[in-house]
Amino acid sequence: MSEIIAQNLLRQCVGEWLAAGKRVAGPKQVSWNRVLYAPLKTPAELLLDLQARPVNSIKEFFFPKHEQLYGYKIEGNDIRLTDSEEALPEQIILGGHPCDAAALPILDHVFNWDYKDSQYNARRAATTIVTVACATHDDACFCTSMGLGPTAERGSDALLLPFGDGSYEVRCLTEKGKALFAGKTTPSDKTAPEYAGPEKKIDPAKVGAFARDHFEDPFWKEQSLACLGCGVCAYNCPTCHCFDIVDEGNAAGGERARNWDSCQFPLFTLHAGGYNPRSTQPNRQRQRVYHKFSIYPEKFGEALCTGCGACTRNCPAGLGILGIATEISHG
Amino acid sequence: MSENAAFEPKIIAFVCNWCTYLGADLAGTSRLEYPANVRIVRLPCMGRIDFNLLIKAFEMKADAVLVSGCHPGDCHYTSGNYHARRRWMLFRPLLDLLGFDMRRIHFSWISGAEGHKFQQVITEITEETRKLGPYKLYEGKPVAYPKFPETVLPLGDFGAEAGMRTAARKLLSEGTVQVVIGYGERGPVFVTKAEDADKLVWNKNCLTNLTAYLKRKEIRALGKAAIVVKGCDERALVVLEQESQIVRSELHVIGMACEGLGIPKCAGCAVRQPRFADEVIGTAKPAEPIDHYAALDVLMAMTPEERMGFWAEQFDRCQRCYACRQVCPMCYCEQCLVDKNHPQEIAASATLTGNFAWQITRAFHQAGRCVGCGECSRVCPAGIDLWALNLTLERAAEEGFEFKAGMEPAATSLIGSYSVKDEEAFIQ
Repeated sequence: MSEIIAQNLLRQCVGEWLAAGKRVAGPKQVSWNRVLYAPLKTPAELLLDLQARPVNSIKEFFFPKHEQLYGYKIEGNDIRLTDSEEALPEQIILGGHPCDAAALPILDHVFNWDYKDSQYNARRAATTIVTVACATHDDACFCTSMGLGPTAERGSDALLLPFGDGSYEVRCLTEKGKALFAGKTTPSDKTAPEYAGPEKKIDPAKVGAFARDHFEDPFWKEQSLACLGCGVCAYNCPTCHCFDIVDEGNAAGGERARNWDSCQFPLFTLHAGGYNPRSTQPNRQRQRVYHKFSIYPEKFGEALCTGCGACTRNCPAGLGILGIATEISHG
Repeated sequence: MSENAAFEPKIIAFVCNWCTYLGADLAGTSRLEYPANVRIVRLPCMGRIDFNLLIKAFEMKADAVLVSGCHPGDCHYTSGNYHARRRWMLFRPLLDLLGFDMRRIHFSWISGAEGHKFQQVITEITEETRKLGPYKLYEGKPVAYPKFPETVLPLGDFGAEAGMRTAARKLLSEGTVQVVIGYGERGPVFVTKAEDADKLVWNKNCLTNLTAYLKRKEIRALGKAAIVVKGCDERALVVLEQESQIVRSELHVIGMACEGLGIPKCAGCAVRQPRFADEVIGTAKPAEPIDHYAALDVLMAMTPEERMGFWAEQFDRCQRCYACRQVCPMCYCEQCLVDKNHPQEIAASATLTGNFAWQITRAFHQAGRCVGCGECSRVCPAGIDLWALNLTLERAAEEGFEFKAGMEPAATSLIGSYSVKDEEAFIQ
């Protein structure tokens, strides 16, 4: 026995959630060549194409690219601090991939290990995540190498398994998921088909050990000559979480804000005195691999990667974790 | 209505020290009355009035701005006002495309003897702005994604791959160059050994404009280079040489005749056959020309509010990953203005205000320099239509000055030069 829901009913649900004032986000066609996870204005905007792979990840609904921590106003000789104006509405994220959702429990470690990040945690508590199992995968996918797969349940509140005919089996995994779909599904004796995941492509333990033991190695230069030093890999990665704190404002006031930052930028490690400990792009590429497969596992017990392939799929220069990790795993 | 009656516009006047400021001073000493709505910001010269100042003024709730300097021929520094005029000729169409309210952006020539003219210009601007009401910057009417004209996307044949490999092998084995910058199966590759020449490929995925690598120190350190370019990429080499970023004789250029890679920019391509390469592999049939600017007409047919709504939605998605800057051969500054934080010139935050400021800066720094390779648009993870910004500047250069970047090696820089004959209908 399973519970199922048809696509038109799912869209109807989106309409109801939006009408109830909730923020609903999901895959959306934003231009002729791009699909992004984005807040939806209407149910029709939700793209339920099983082939579609949004460029970005769902992390921005928990850890936004720009977030005000607090504001300040200058009036005469007084400086007045104001609380953050960021709204934290109830959110529903619909149509993410399992590899996106699995990133959140991994991120929970770093946002709670010493300082408990109140804004991140508040967003986590206010969000219900509904993922859609992957009926297809592409060349960049390597979730199976990271212990996940097309129907991985980690991080999801509910998992929808497509039958391919526009209907889904609904697996509610948490109380939040159950509450969301209560009374919306119909029992059926159909069960979802098996989906083939990508073959295993890399060995994360070997990648981590190599990064740790080959800190100085010509390998990094060979692998990263084509790197142009943009932030596409980090910003669209579901697990990259580095940020910068900035004060921005004018004579009347301003804000202290947290912005995304990327280890691929020279500015990321530039010291005030002008020295840069990671002065070349190969050092920065090495850092990304080293952090994901060695530093993070040593500290929190698991790799900072879900095998979603976003860095590899979207890199302007055809690089990404998969290529480097494959070289190490089979080299 | 009552709100409008109480509305007093805030007007920021950026004026030069030698003429307009003296004009304002004369208006004062002559006891000429003009509205108190204007705040004067004095700069050494009209040529120093950076476009970012205008954007900053609007960000800080200005309802209108005035840029004013010496009459043509009167500049204290000989030509600052001529340079300014040319810059604004290129910049105004960009602001117009972005949906700025052009009725709030004014230009004038006011000499030190024209106290009356200063009084008159300020009075007119104040009255006009009062009628327009408060300016709501970056608030526009949201619009549906426009339907741009569909172009036929040609795909050429890629038979020249073997010829390219042979050329690379020869260059490396004879020691003419130490590295060949070309395309590999996964992306750009840097071939340093003759036996690796077969790693080079030539197919529809050879999109990257490889000339962007010439600025990277890791690549420069590899030694004398040969570079594979398509006709479109080659235009970048022309500009890089004009701007003294490369020494052409120290670079070996392998030009690939290209009949299209199947992306929109390839339609109507005018440079399928490289023109200045050291060797050209293959021959390409010329393309049927098309009107590239027709796509801009779609945007310009909208109202300014709609255009601003269109861009607000686009820029809201900008992550500030700077992929647009990093893939651009023309963005070779060692330190980008946006990375400068002592003091900070442009907000680093990915807010609507910060993103507008960044995207305007990036685009305008390409004025008369962008070669239209389209890489910024291709790599943008947020799918922002950056091509439209670049194309608007290209159109302003072509229609106003019959100038197209990277077409003519002997051409002088558009933004670095001026002519006393430049048109000035927009300057009072």
